[in-house]
Amino acid sequence: MSSTGCQHLQAYKAAGGKETFRIIYSYFVACSSADARHKKAQICKCVVCGDYRPRLHACLSCIYFGCYDKKHIHQHAEENKHHLAIDVSYGIIYCFVCGDYVYDSELEELARAQCHRASASLGLKQKFFPWEPSEEELILLRCNPKRRRVTEASHIGLRGLINLGNTCFMNCILQSLAHTPILRDYFMADQHACQATDESQQCLVCEMARLYQEFYSGSRTPYIPYRLLHLVWTNARHLAGYEQQDAHEFLIAALDVLHRHCKEMNGISDSNPHHCNCIIDRIFTGGLQSDVTCKRCNNVSTTIDPIWDISLDLGPGSIHSSHLLPSATAAASTAQTPSTGNTGANNGSSGNSSSAPSSLPFASADITTHSPSTSFTNSPGNYEPTSLVECLKRFTKTEHLGNSAKIKCSKCHSYQESTKQLTMKKLPIVACFHLKRFEHSTGYHKKISTFVSFPEELDMTPFMSSARCSNGFNGQVLRSRIPTLTCDNKYSLFAVVNHYGTIESGHYTCYIRSLKEQWYRCEDHLIKRATAGEVLNSEGYLLFYHKQVLEYD
Amino acid sequence: MTILVFIQSLQERKLKDAQMRATINQKLVETGERERLKELLRARLIECGWRDELKAYCKEIVQQKGLEHITVDDLVTEMTPRGRSLVPDEVKKELLQRIRTFLAQQSNM
Ligand SMILES: [Zn+2]
Ligand SMILES: [Zn+2]
Ligand SMILES: [Zn+2]
Ligand SMILES: [Zn+2]
Ligand SMILES: [Zn+2]
Ligand SMILES: [Zn+2]
Repeated sequence: MSSTGCQHLQAYKAAGGKETFRIIYSYFVACSSADARHKKAQICKCVVCGDYRPRLHACLSCIYFGCYDKKHIHQHAEENKHHLAIDVSYGIIYCFVCGDYVYDSELEELARAQCHRASASLGLKQKFFPWEPSEEELILLRCNPKRRRVTEASHIGLRGLINLGNTCFMNCILQSLAHTPILRDYFMADQHACQATDESQQCLVCEMARLYQEFYSGSRTPYIPYRLLHLVWTNARHLAGYEQQDAHEFLIAALDVLHRHCKEMNGISDSNPHHCNCIIDRIFTGGLQSDVTCKRCNNVSTTIDPIWDISLDLGPGSIHSSHLLPSATAAASTAQTPSTGNTGANNGSSGNSSSAPSSLPFASADITTHSPSTSFTNSPGNYEPTSLVECLKRFTKTEHLGNSAKIKCSKCHSYQESTKQLTMKKLPIVACFHLKRFEHSTGYHKKISTFVSFPEELDMTPFMSSARCSNGFNGQVLRSRIPTLTCDNKYSLFAVVNHYGTIESGHYTCYIRSLKEQWYRCEDHLIKRATAGEVLNSEGYLLFYHKQVLEYD
Repeated sequence: MTILVFIQSLQERKLKDAQMRATINQKLVETGERERLKELLRARLIECGWRDELKAYCKEIVQQKGLEHITVDDLVTEMTPRGRSLVPDEVKKELLQRIRTFLAQQSNM
């Protein structure tokens, strides 16, 4: 590759070649009109052998097409003394005298503009380019010559957390968040522009940023997250104190505080909480669709509510239908926060015993419960699910609400029996599943330790609203016409939080995935290598999955 | 005799296949689908680290041979086998599926 440039290309430009180049480029390399595309489809093949595959070149002097692999373009150049040809797939120029591809910044500029027009003409979004350091960043890189390379063998990002007295529930959540790929990238790329001016306004987002710095600093001594704990305590009072807390409650509280701090610090208005654009909502918020169908007239009323996680029942079919009542009342006070999806078709009377900031997704539905019933006419499954997929099937199954839970139909203008179905309208980037292992019912508390299998790779397609059949009250999720092979709705497991022991006294540990297919077991300050098999055989309390494919926006 | 018929039919099939491929290529170019697929492929290869890995390999080769003594052709020859083998199966599958869907929509073929 000559670094001095090609004099043949300079001569070509001097002789007015720029315009020829532009025309060839816009007709045969990057077409910006249907006409050009049509011409390209018809004409672009080797004159000698008819080949149209990659590495076809066009002569920049006479628009002769010849393939490179069989040297037909070389023949043409030789015979006609036409020295320059352009690769129609990549738009780079070959000089037959210099014997290599040659470059010119002016022509490259022309080419770039044409590529831009071509993408626009096809309605393609602007091309995605990976990060290239800016001038400023180059200076920073030069001033800080120390580099850390992440390889298969490196342990970077793994760090134990000191237990500050029954804080294993927090450590598990911090480990899971620290290894949430996109959240990590957000913090490592220094994306949080904090607006907190003085020290007294302590920002949990900044504290998280510090945690990532500590995790990726390369230090191996366990980290003491006391500032984080203190901040969560001051912002989520119900979690304060040195008692064992529920890891799920802590997760929701932490997400809530993070979301609030993102907003406060960025000064975004609070008026539309459902469309928050903070990093937490961008990653964790999904849309849960609830379709209530009147049994008399088949009128469907649809509501979509934001959720941060999906809570799944494990016990046998519920015998109470009163779950709508507490949710409807609880919703009013906390409607600011996405719900914890905590309800399912069969929440029973359990409800999370405490004050997790969950508003249930029925908040906006017009629901009146007459009196708590003691029987379901058709409880969605009187069985104990043994896998995550079964739990999700039950979660999205049509539920007959029974005659004791009549709902006012907007079409019939009266209270009617109806069915209800939950489906996923919008999938979050990170899906967090909460297996409801703790049952708090009037009079007793118990832990359900049934084995619930969960996969390393999960396809959410069957649980999407788009898979829902809209034929009236029978509305069933159609599981047969699932498109195969697309990975749009596929997820990969990256963290599992486990609870050991009983409801009164227990201990939390978690598995996290670092790098591809490398699992570690984190127990406070201890971190050990683990196998995928070990992870999949664990009990599972909170399951974290991330989407395999992200859309650019 | 039968061998000859067999060879003839094989050649006919080959010719038909080649014609089919050419027609598909024309359709892909004409509709702009080819550009869309290219862009999808580009994005996927960046996402999965393919680009970074090949870039590093490329740098290695250039450093070994010296910038002045290497041509794009040399690089292409050295890189192509590795580049091909490193494309993840999922990416190939996704692209194949997209092409199938596209062809199914082209009723006039
Ligand atoms: Zn030259
Ligand atoms: Zn020529
Ligand atoms: Zn040829
Ligand atoms: Zn901050
Ligand atoms: Zn938010
Ligand atoms: Zn009705």
